[in-house]
Amino acid sequence: MKKDGYLSILTKGVFKENPVFILILGTCPTLATTTNVVGAFGMGIAALVVLLCSNVLISLLRKVIPDAVRIPCYITIIAGFVTVVQMVVQAYFPDLYEMLGVYLALIVVNCIILGRAEMFASKNTVGKSALDGIGMGLGFTLALCAMATVREVFGAASFAGMEIAFLAPYKIEFLVKAPGGMLVYGLLIALVSALTHGKGPKKKSFACAGCPSAAHCHTGACQSGKEEA
Amino acid sequence: MKKSIKNVFVLVSICAVVSVLLAITNAVTAPIIAENERASANAALLEVMPDGGSFTSVALDGYTLPATVTEAYLGENGGYVFKLKTVGYSSGFVIMCGVNADGTVSGAVCLASTETLGHEKTFGALLTGKTAENIDAVDTVSGATKTTGAYRAAVKDALNAALILGGGSVDIRTEEEILRDRLTAALPAAQGEFEKLFITESLDGVDAVYAAVNRTGYVLVIGDAFVATDLDGHVITKETAQDETAETAMAALLASELSPITLDAYEGLPSQLVSASRTATGNYDLVIKGAGYGIAGGSAYHPASGEYIYIRVSLTRDGRILDCLTLSQAETDGIGSACADESFYGQFVGKTEETYGEIDAIGGATYTTDGYKQAILRAFACVKIFEGGVES
Repeated sequence: MKKDGYLSILTKGVFKENPVFILILGTCPTLATTTNVVGAFGMGIAALVVLLCSNVLISLLRKVIPDAVRIPCYITIIAGFVTVVQMVVQAYFPDLYEMLGVYLALIVVNCIILGRAEMFASKNTVGKSALDGIGMGLGFTLALCAMATVREVFGAASFAGMEIAFLAPYKIEFLVKAPGGMLVYGLLIALVSALTHGKGPKKKSFACAGCPSAAHCHTGACQSGKEEA
Repeated sequence: MKKSIKNVFVLVSICAVVSVLLAITNAVTAPIIAENERASANAALLEVMPDGGSFTSVALDGYTLPATVTEAYLGENGGYVFKLKTVGYSSGFVIMCGVNADGTVSGAVCLASTETLGHEKTFGALLTGKTAENIDAVDTVSGATKTTGAYRAAVKDALNAALILGGGSVDIRTEEEILRDRLTAALPAAQGEFEKLFITESLDGVDAVYAAVNRTGYVLVIGDAFVATDLDGHVITKETAQDETAETAMAALLASELSPITLDAYEGLPSQLVSASRTATGNYDLVIKGAGYGIAGGSAYHPASGEYIYIRVSLTRDGRILDCLTLSQAETDGIGSACADESFYGQFVGKTEETYGEIDAIGGATYTTDGYKQAILRAFACVKIFEGGVES
C-alpha cells in the first residue's frame, strides 16, 4: 500500500474508493435500507460509528492480535460495537430502530467493516485508521443517501418523509421495491464509473489484496494471470 | 504451544473486554428501552382513554369477571382500560375499551377483526359516554346485528368489569343466562336445557313457552311469572294466580295438531321435498326423498332399484334436527340398506347445517350415504325458505 497523506486517506473513501460504488461492498444494506433517506442516513451513520470504533481498536491491537486468530478477533470487536450501536439506537432513536430492523444487526457482517479492518486498520497507525474509518463511513453514508434520494423522490414522491406534491402523480413505485433498488444501484454504479473513468483504483489494488483470505491464498485463482496478487 | 496459548489468551481477553463494554451499554440503555416499550404500549391505551396518563397492568386473578375480559389496565385518572375478546358474525374480534372512574365509556376501538361488513371499525364511537344503564339503548346496526350486538355486549362487560374491579358487585350474567337461570328455577328437572317454542296460534296471556330439551315438561312465561307444567300440561306446583292461565294455554297447545304447509305457497323448494308440516310447538316435520344407489348408482352386478330413500326429519325453526327416520328404501341389501338402521339415521339427531357432515358414513355405500346427506341438506334449506330466508 502506498503512503497516503492524511487528507487523501479521508477523501479516498468518499470518492476514489467509495465502498459502495467503486469497491462494490456492503450491497445488501445498500439495497435494503435505501427506500427512504432517513433510514439510509441512519444506516450510514451507524455503520460509520462501527467502522470508526472498530478501525481504531483493531489498529491499536494490531501488534497484539496473532495472525492465526485475527478474523475471530475482528469479528468479536465488530460484533461488540454493532451491539453497542444497536442498543443505543434502540434506546434513543426507536423510530430509526424500527425502520432499520434486522439490517442494523447485520452491520456485523457488512463487508466494508471487515474489509477495512483487514485491509487498512491492521496495517496502519491509529490516526490513519480513524481517518480511513471516517472516510469510508462517509462514503457509505453518501452513497446510501444518494441512492435513497433517487428511490424515495421518484419512487415515493417524498424526501426524508416530506411529501413532494407535484411528483405524486408521476411516482414510479417500482423503484422502492427490491428490483427497482437493483436498477438504481446499477445505474448509479455506471454513472460513477463514467465520472471516474481512468481515475478509479485499478482492480489489483483491492481485488485480491482486499480478500480476507488473501494471506492464505497462494493460487491467486480469482486474479487474472497478468496481475500479481 | 506457546503460540497457541497466546492465541487463546488474546481472543479470550478481547471477548472479555467486549463483554464488559456490552454490559455497561446495556446497563445504560436497558431502562430507556424498557421505558420506550412501555410508552408505546401506553400509547395504545391512551387512544381509548386520552386522559389516562400512565397505565399499570391489573392482575385479574381473584375477580369473577365477564368472560370477554382478557386484560385490564388502571389509568392515573382512576379509569380502567380493558382488552376484550368477543365473537360476532365470524371468528371474533378484539376490542380495547376505556371506562372512566365515573362509569362511562371513554372510548372503544376494535384492534383486529374478520367481520364481514366492517361495522366493528366504527361502532365503538357510538358507545362513547354510555353507562351500564343506558348502553342497551344504543341500537345495533341493521344488517350487522351480530357484530354490533356482540360489540355492545362486550363494552357492557367492560363497564361491569370496571365496577367489579372497583369493589362493586354486579350481575354479570348475560340476558340469556338470566333467562336460563329463571327457567331452571321453575323446572329444575330440565337441568338448564330449554328450547323456545314457536307458537303458531296466540295463547291468551302467555308471552312464551319453553320446552325442556330432555322432555321433562314445559315452562310458560306469563307476565313476570314462570310457571312449570308437566308434559300433559298440568302445573307442577300450584301457587300463583297464573296457574289457570297456564293450564288453559297448555291444553290448547297440546290439542292443536300438525298444520300441513302448502308447498305451492313457497318458491324455490327442492323437488325432493314430499311434504311438510308445522308442529304445534313450531317445529317442522318434513318428508324428503334422497337419491341413493337406487337412483344415482347401479352397475351390472347390482342394478339400481329406481327407488328413492324416503326420510322423515323434524327440525327446529333455527335448523337443528330433532328427529330423523328412514321411512322406506330399496338400497342394495346388506350394504346401503343400513340406512334404515337407527344406528345410521340416529346420528343426524342434534345436527345442524354446519355439523350434519360429521356422521359416520355407511361402509361400502358411498352413493347411499351421499344421497342421504344431500336430502338432509335440502331439509335445512327448506326450513330456511319456510322461515322466510332466501335459499337458492
